[in-house]
Amino acid sequence: MQADRRRLNAPAGGTTPPTFAASPNQTPPRPTRSRKPDEHRKIFLRSGIVPSASGSAYYEIPPQSPKQQDSLLIPQSSSLKITCTVHGPRPLPRNAAFSPNLLLSTHVKFAPFATRTRRGYVRDAAERDLGVHLETALRGVVIGERWPKSGCEVVITVLEGEEDGWWGDARSGQGGGKAGGWGLMGVLAGCVTVASAALVDAGIDCVDLVTGGVAAVVQDGDGPSNDGIVVVDPTPSQHSEIRAACVVGYLQSRDEVTEMWMKGDAGLHAESLVDSAVKAASLARIVLAEVVKEAVEAKMSIGLGTSNTNGSVREAEGKQKDVVMTG
Amino acid sequence: MASGSTVLPGQSLGLLANNNGGPGTHIHGDRVFASVAGIVTSTPSTSKSSKTPTLSITRPSGALLPEVGTTILGKITRTNPRQANISILAIYINGEPLCSEPFPALIRQQDVRATEIDKVKIAESFRVGDVVRAVVISLGDERSYYLSTAKNELGVVMAVSEAGNQMYPVSWKEFQDPDSGLKEARKVAKPL
Repeated sequence: MQADRRRLNAPAGGTTPPTFAASPNQTPPRPTRSRKPDEHRKIFLRSGIVPSASGSAYYEIPPQSPKQQDSLLIPQSSSLKITCTVHGPRPLPRNAAFSPNLLLSTHVKFAPFATRTRRGYVRDAAERDLGVHLETALRGVVIGERWPKSGCEVVITVLEGEEDGWWGDARSGQGGGKAGGWGLMGVLAGCVTVASAALVDAGIDCVDLVTGGVAAVVQDGDGPSNDGIVVVDPTPSQHSEIRAACVVGYLQSRDEVTEMWMKGDAGLHAESLVDSAVKAASLARIVLAEVVKEAVEAKMSIGLGTSNTNGSVREAEGKQKDVVMTG
Repeated sequence: MASGSTVLPGQSLGLLANNNGGPGTHIHGDRVFASVAGIVTSTPSTSKSSKTPTLSITRPSGALLPEVGTTILGKITRTNPRQANISILAIYINGEPLCSEPFPALIRQQDVRATEIDKVKIAESFRVGDVVRAVVISLGDERSYYLSTAKNELGVVMAVSEAGNQMYPVSWKEFQDPDSGLKEARKVAKPL
């Protein structure tokens, strides 16, 4: 990574506060997955959070089980927090060529405090790569020819990102899997969903609601290595070895995939891995559809002036119902 | 699809045989689908050839881009002997009229009025800072939309005199400063 010479950077290192070192005998147990293989974690999604942008959304997968937190101050597994703002359609800059379609540009950035080791302020190669994957997923869904001579910018900031493996593994020297970067795949799935919510909030014509889903082939238990099982929405810190993972951007009403990214050696499970990722995307779409519907109804009621004061309408918006994600 | 219900992008609104697709929808195969999230409305057809109603979706946020044929309000930023550059600030379609971003546009000398278009002098029609009502005639080139004020209701709506006072319209080609009584030449919009 290039050195960032324009700023006085903080010392490189961890983002959790320093604590007393635990003795090597006392390794805490690895967190385990308590969900079924086809069960998704609960998602929190809200759109319309940035009033000055054309559209915006916030996506969070909160930490699931607090009871594994008893012995340590360091969180056992990370959660996912992504925010997205959409600016557009807005006129292209003066020296840009005439374009009969909408020019979509995506920009993904991890905040410096988003991962266990501090990131820099300058975008590195992994973030640019995520931006390209996200643009591929969104390009298949936006109807560009209705917006000539305009550009649309999708800006994603990851406030807390998924890690690649369990931090205890790094301490004891074992790897998290043959290839690395499993956390980035979960982040991409979240980015596709949150960008879709923000685009709909901005009123840009879309063919369908695109959602991101991630699935992985993991080693089954701690026994001798076997074929592995396919799980939906993997938490990388809960598995000793991840063999392969796949992210898809999926359109449910047309049954089309706009973006697919597969990493690792899936072996016999390649097709069922893609199917599971599509299933994860369908589960996320249930949440997205409910959020978009509530946002439209809230905007319509504000427009018709059925609220007495602004404060009471915003209070009503805050009480969202839980949506059950069923397959 | 019941009129007045909330729809999401990708939701089917009906068969193409029974409905036309209006703003906010797209056609795929033999059905009409929604492209934006909003309330669907069905307007009966006004043309003689097709009797089917038109389905359209109103965006909660209002118009996003100027389209050909829409009336806009803008402010003159620059004048040349051949054209006047203007910054579009508001679009008159349903919903919120104010644009989130001002769009650059221009009015050419031949589009200022409908008669004697070769004798038009831009300096006697517009000045920098005037608020103008105009209609979009073309998407134009990469820099600007093209506008026209060649109608009675189009032209300068508000203007400030050289002395700095707000002026009142007195005829189709003159504004008058109330304090000094001096008249200045503009292409004036007929007050509604």
